[in-house]
Amino acid sequence: MVMKIFFPQCCNLADSGLLVGRWISGHDSAVVLAVIHYPFIPGQVKEYIQQMKTQSGVELSVLGSWSLPKDGQEGMDSFLKDLSTIFPQERWLQIRRQIGKTGFTCEILSQDQKRKAAQQEAKKKKEEGNKTSDGEAGHEEEEEEKVIFVHYEQRKVMLSQLHPIENGDPDPATGEPSELRQMFQTVACSQPLFFLDKYDDGPLKSTHWQSQGREASIIVELLKQSSTPLCLLITWLLSIWTWICNMRFFSLYPLRFLSSKLSTCVQLSYRTEHMRTLSSPKTAVGHMHFMRKASIFVSFLVDVALGMLLMSWLYRDNHITMLANTLVPAADHVAKNLEELLQWLMGAPAGLKMNRALDQVLGRFFLYHIHLWISYIHLMSPFIEGILWYGGLSACFGLTFALSLLSDMVALFTFHIYCFYVYGARLYCLKIYGLSSLWRLFRGKKWNVLRQRVDSCSYDLDQLFIGTLLFTILLFLLPTTALYYLVFTLLRLVVVLFQGILHLSVDFINSFPLFAVGLRIFRPYRLAEGVKFRVLSQEPGTALHLMMEMNPLKVSTVVQTYRTPTYSCYPKDSWVALMKKLFVGELIYPWRHKSTKTD
Amino acid sequence: MGPDGAPGPAVPWQKVLWERQPFPDNYVDERFLEELRRNEGIRQYHYWAVVKEAGFVGQQLSCVAIFITLWLYMEQGLLSPEMLLSTSLACALLGYGLHQALMSQFESDCEPRTHLADLQSASIFLSFTFGFSPVLKTLTESVSTDTVYAMSAVMLLAHLVSFPYAQPSPPGSLSLNAALFASVCLASRLPGALHTFAMLSCALLVFALWPCLLQKLRENAPKHFTGVCVGVCLGGVVGLGSQSPGGAVLLALALGSVTLLCPLLLVRLQRHKDNIHGPWDEAEIHEDLSRLRH
Repeated sequence: MVMKIFFPQCCNLADSGLLVGRWISGHDSAVVLAVIHYPFIPGQVKEYIQQMKTQSGVELSVLGSWSLPKDGQEGMDSFLKDLSTIFPQERWLQIRRQIGKTGFTCEILSQDQKRKAAQQEAKKKKEEGNKTSDGEAGHEEEEEEKVIFVHYEQRKVMLSQLHPIENGDPDPATGEPSELRQMFQTVACSQPLFFLDKYDDGPLKSTHWQSQGREASIIVELLKQSSTPLCLLITWLLSIWTWICNMRFFSLYPLRFLSSKLSTCVQLSYRTEHMRTLSSPKTAVGHMHFMRKASIFVSFLVDVALGMLLMSWLYRDNHITMLANTLVPAADHVAKNLEELLQWLMGAPAGLKMNRALDQVLGRFFLYHIHLWISYIHLMSPFIEGILWYGGLSACFGLTFALSLLSDMVALFTFHIYCFYVYGARLYCLKIYGLSSLWRLFRGKKWNVLRQRVDSCSYDLDQLFIGTLLFTILLFLLPTTALYYLVFTLLRLVVVLFQGILHLSVDFINSFPLFAVGLRIFRPYRLAEGVKFRVLSQEPGTALHLMMEMNPLKVSTVVQTYRTPTYSCYPKDSWVALMKKLFVGELIYPWRHKSTKTD
Repeated sequence: MGPDGAPGPAVPWQKVLWERQPFPDNYVDERFLEELRRNEGIRQYHYWAVVKEAGFVGQQLSCVAIFITLWLYMEQGLLSPEMLLSTSLACALLGYGLHQALMSQFESDCEPRTHLADLQSASIFLSFTFGFSPVLKTLTESVSTDTVYAMSAVMLLAHLVSFPYAQPSPPGSLSLNAALFASVCLASRLPGALHTFAMLSCALLVFALWPCLLQKLRENAPKHFTGVCVGVCLGGVVGLGSQSPGGAVLLALALGSVTLLCPLLLVRLQRHKDNIHGPWDEAEIHEDLSRLRH
């Protein structure tokens, strides 16, 4: 049986005293948290430990004794041994360190062995006198227990969060948490123990990582103080905003439909929810909650900073006017190109044989649409600069707002392309469905809705006649419709792609866990995936000394774990499904789907 | 004797597997083939009966030829659409009268269609064809003529192949649809909308209504049926001859082979028919056995 003792590095050179820590139940290991020095009154120590136990919720106890003999402290051993009777424990550790030697020596006294203690004492004295390697070996044989010292950095372990390993995650609900996890929890929970520093005038003195003085920051304390009124203010503002949003006027059908399709509105509601999470007066409960809050906060700050940058660029040197002046000619240019495209389609595009009559009808219809759209743009042109100026102000809420607004503006400016696409797709869809059902009629079959299969069917003469007539007509008109559909679908795809990129970047800013990634880069130990052990000294005859170091979490895992849940704007369909949709002429949209919100 | 040449013991062999016998498993004796029967339930065909039945195939071939002839006349402007329409109308009325006469002469079990339903169908045909004829006229404008001809030829062939010769009334979906598709393709090449209308009405008459009437004739007046078939065949050959003599010769050859040569071959080859039946179990694999392996 091997016993593990987790020993804090800061206690390596502590004065002799009592080891305070915890036995990890179920495993043969102990976590040493602090050393309480002489002189003390045992009653006070017991009281102190009881107090700490209630404050931290950890099963703290006195583990044993620690001795680092200095000059003029001889004859301590017997005293230390007597302590085990004062603090009755199942097992009693006696860790000893000699000046000039790196390794520790450790003795374990069990309850039943205490009776034999007298006999062992004599033996040990002899061994110590020898200070040879076989002394330890003989000791082992008798105790049948080996000891491994695992040294850890108390501060890092206390602050770090141990993540489950990706592939085989031990279910915390069913299984007992692993030994390492329990150790991390013990250190993290016993924070009250570390508040006792050497400037305290209490009756007890102890050594731990913070014993040289408590670590704190003035800025953090000030921010903590100021955050409460700020949160209250934001909550009040939010409640007003929610009241406005919930007004009856806004829940009317067209407005609600419109707002669910405009990405600015979606972003607004999203940001509102964020602020609500941030401004809730309760402190974060778990680690994940805290990280989420921090992540949202940092993302918000970065977003606003980027928005400010954009604003500073926009409102300098009349960039807005320049933009507005280029927008109308650009729209004209697009319209001219579209007209040329339609003229080309109305001829014999790429040598394809199209039905001339239908071609002309469709071409004129679309040309008229372009004419309408151009009139609309020219009607709008005096206001475009104003719209851009006021729209640019939205960047002060963050870059995401500006991007969402841009996406909406693109959608409005390319409304004619959307219209063309819808007409083309509807026509094409009609033809495809008509042809597929008439093809079944052509073969004397029909679709059985009840059995979901194709059955044979005997049609009447007039049904066959009309069906064949329509089939012929649809078949010969299909290429013309398909070509118009193809061209306008390609145009639509360009717009959808652009909007998709905008949505993706907005989503990226919203959901990227900037805080967690920053932590991973600047404080790698805060997010640990596991630990690794380095051998410190392995002299034959002394206990094995290991150094425990943190394995930082992989960056990809950090991003995956701490990604803020958001409205997914990724396409709902796979590529094959998308192609199939395009083939049968179903409409495609770049909109986010609220139903696929991941939480 | 069995394949292993087992010596004939005193015990007679039995064709059972549940008793232990002194024979190898694959042993059979000479009584095995006694139960063999050949050509069970065969129908002996008579040459002229087969020719008479084949006449239906021949006349359908001629019908296609007649339709093509009419189209050729129309395309060259030798036949005015009004003329074709009036002739078609007369033929339709005549055929309808004959059909009714045959129906009333021999009462059939099934409920006959009312005159109103017939009139409704006729009005649907005419109105749809008339309404769509301008559209049909411009339908194949941009498609090359060769493509249209090839499509029509393939579709007419499909019509002939898939025609339900044994039970032509009601006409099969695929054959009728193929014929109508071909006639729409051909009609769209004609110079005017009225031409298209006339051609489609004619196609309806030839491909949809004529087989129904002929079937009634075959059932109720077999003697006249033969005469009508011969008449249609002759009409087809003569009509095609007036436009392309080569085509007429080909058609005549095809008709001859279908109606005379093929039945002869059938009757001749029937002598060589050798179908054996016996008390053995034939190994038949009904379904895919590969899934049973697992």
